[in-house]
Amino acid sequence: MSHEKYRRIGPNIWEVPTDFKDGMTVPARILSSPKLIDSIDNRVIDQITNVACLPGIRRYALCMPDGHVGYGFPIGGVAAFGLSDGVISPGGIGFDINCGMRLLRTNLTLDEIRPRMPELLGKLFATIPSGVGSKGFVRLSRGQFTEIMNRGCRWCLDNGYATDDDLRHIENGGYLEPADSKTVSDKAVSRGINQMGTLGSGNHYLEVEISAPENIYDRETAAVFGLDRDYQVLVAIHCGSRGFGHQVATDYLQVFGRYGKGHGLKIRDKELMSAPIDSDEGQRYFRAMGCAANAAFVNRQLIVYGVRQVFREIFGKTDRELGVDTIYDVAHNIAKMERYDIDGREETVLVHRKGATRSFGPGREEIPDKYREVGQPVIVGGSMETGSALLCGTALADRDAFGSTLHGAGRTMSRIKARKAARGEAVQKRMSESGILVKTGYMPGLAEEAAMAYKNIDDVIDAVDELGISRKVARFYPVLNIKG
Amino acid sequence: MPFKLTDIYSTADICLLASGQTLEELFVDSAAGLIEIIVDRDSLGDKRKIGCRVEGKDLEELYYNWLAELIYIKDAELFLPRTIVIDRLTETGPTLTATLYGETIDQSRHRLKVDVKAVTYYKFKIEKIDNLWRGEVVFDI
Repeated sequence: MSHEKYRRIGPNIWEVPTDFKDGMTVPARILSSPKLIDSIDNRVIDQITNVACLPGIRRYALCMPDGHVGYGFPIGGVAAFGLSDGVISPGGIGFDINCGMRLLRTNLTLDEIRPRMPELLGKLFATIPSGVGSKGFVRLSRGQFTEIMNRGCRWCLDNGYATDDDLRHIENGGYLEPADSKTVSDKAVSRGINQMGTLGSGNHYLEVEISAPENIYDRETAAVFGLDRDYQVLVAIHCGSRGFGHQVATDYLQVFGRYGKGHGLKIRDKELMSAPIDSDEGQRYFRAMGCAANAAFVNRQLIVYGVRQVFREIFGKTDRELGVDTIYDVAHNIAKMERYDIDGREETVLVHRKGATRSFGPGREEIPDKYREVGQPVIVGGSMETGSALLCGTALADRDAFGSTLHGAGRTMSRIKARKAARGEAVQKRMSESGILVKTGYMPGLAEEAAMAYKNIDDVIDAVDELGISRKVARFYPVLNIKG
Repeated sequence: MPFKLTDIYSTADICLLASGQTLEELFVDSAAGLIEIIVDRDSLGDKRKIGCRVEGKDLEELYYNWLAELIYIKDAELFLPRTIVIDRLTETGPTLTATLYGETIDQSRHRLKVDVKAVTYYKFKIEKIDNLWRGEVVFDI
C-alpha cells in the first residue's frame, strides 16, 4: 500500500482520512504491522473506504491485519452502524453466513494417538462428509430444519447431538436471536437441508492439532481454556452455513437491490447493497441471517458429534474419559447488536464482522463463566500446513475495534496461481514428510490451500497482539488434516 | 466460444470470462464454465434430465439468475449437467427455459473439484461488443 493520503497514526494503525473519497463520513483504519502493510492492496483500500461511505457508520471502518479483497467489504472488514440511521449489508457479513471456527480439546496426547493416526484420519474422513455433493449423516425433515433455523444448537441439545457444556462454550450459546424461518426462501431451505454436518470445500477443513509446550505463550490463560497437558491433542473445525447461508445472501442481495432502486439510493458497489436496519427489508434480512447463523452453529455441532463418535470407536473410551470438550466456537462472518462507547456515549450498534472474530475482553457477561476473568477465546485458523492459534479477547478490542480481531492468516495467492505453483501431490508429500497426514477428495485443492497461498499466521497474530486487540495464548501444529 | 477461468479480480475466488455469437451461446458457454469449476465435465454422464425456467427484470438479472439457478440445482437436486440446451430465450420480459442433461453427483465416480457457492455482483457484466456477447462473473468459492 503506498499513497500519500494514508497516515500512520500508531505503530500498527494506518488511517485513510475522510477527504480520500467523496462520501466518506468516517475515516478508514487499517490495522496491520510494518511487516504486513504492503500486503494490503489498493482494492482493499477502495473497499474499506466504500464502507466508510455507508449511512450511519460510527467512528471508523476497520480492516484487520489478515485483510484481503472481498465483495463489498474486504475480508477482515469490521464496521458498526447506528440502529436508527444505519444500514445492514449482506456484503458486510459474507455469503457464508457464520462461517466460523470450533476448537475442541481432548485428554489425549500425541504419543497416545501416534500409532493410530492413519486409522484416525481415515475414519474421520469417512465419517465427516466433505467436498462437492456431500450429504450430512442426519436426515432432516422440513419441520426439523425449521427448528434448526429458529433455535440453533438448542435443537442439537434436545436431540442428543450436543451437551450443555457445548452450548455454554459457543458464541451466543449456539443460537442467534432474532431468527425467523418465515423470512427464508424455500430455495435456501432446499439447498441447506441435506448439508447439515458437512464440511464443504474450498478453505474449509477439519484438523487434528497438537499443543506443544514451547508454543504456549500464556500458561495461565491456556490452562483456563482447557490446555492442561504437554502435546495435547486438539481438533479444529472450519466451516459455515453451507449452501443455505449462500442462498440467504443471494436472495437478500436482490431484495436490497430492488430496495435501493426503489428508494433512489446511490450504490457505489453492488456487493455493498444495503437497507436501513429499521426498514422492513433490513429487519427481514437480519432475521434470515439469524437463521443461517443458527444453521452454521448446528453444522459445526453435528461435525463435533461425528468427531466424538470416531474418537470413541478408535480409542475404545467414553466421552468422559476422552474429554473431547468444546473450548469455544466463534463466528467470523456475522452481524450482531452490541453496545459500545461511541464518542463518550453508550450506544447499541449493529457490528458487521466479515472475516473478523469477536474478541471480548475480561468481565463481559457474554463470555462463559469459566473464561470471564481472562477474556473470550479467539480461534484463528491458519493454512492447512501451519495450524491454528488460540488468542484471548481484550478490553482494548472493546474500546478500539468494536470488540473485534482477525480471523485467519489471510489469502495472498489466487487459487489458479497456487495450482500453477505446486501440484497437490507434491504438497501432500511435503506435508507427510513434516508429519502432517492429509486427505482430500480434490488433490489440486491441496495446492490451493497450501501455506504459500497465505500470509504467515505468526505475522498476523503478532500484529493483533502488538495492537492489543487480542493476546496470544497458544499456537498449535497440525498432524492430521481433512481438506473439504 | 470457449470460456476462460481466471484470477484477475480475486485472490480467493474464480472469475469466468465467457462469450458467444448469440445470447444463447453466451448462456451455454457461461454455464459450461461454471460447471467446469466444480467438476471435470468429461467424468459426467447425461442420463438424468432436468428442465428449468428462469426470469429476470432485465438481461443482466436473467444472466445472474441463470447461473444462480445452476448452483441451486447442484445443491438441492445434487445434480450437475454435462450438456446444457437453451430451449428458449426471450430478451423482452427476459425469460429462459433450458434442459440440462447430466447426473446425480457421485463422489466415487465424478472427478469433482471445488464447490461454487454463489454468483457475486463483483465485476459482474454482460455486454455486446462488435457482435459478440461477453459475460464476466466472479464466483464465490
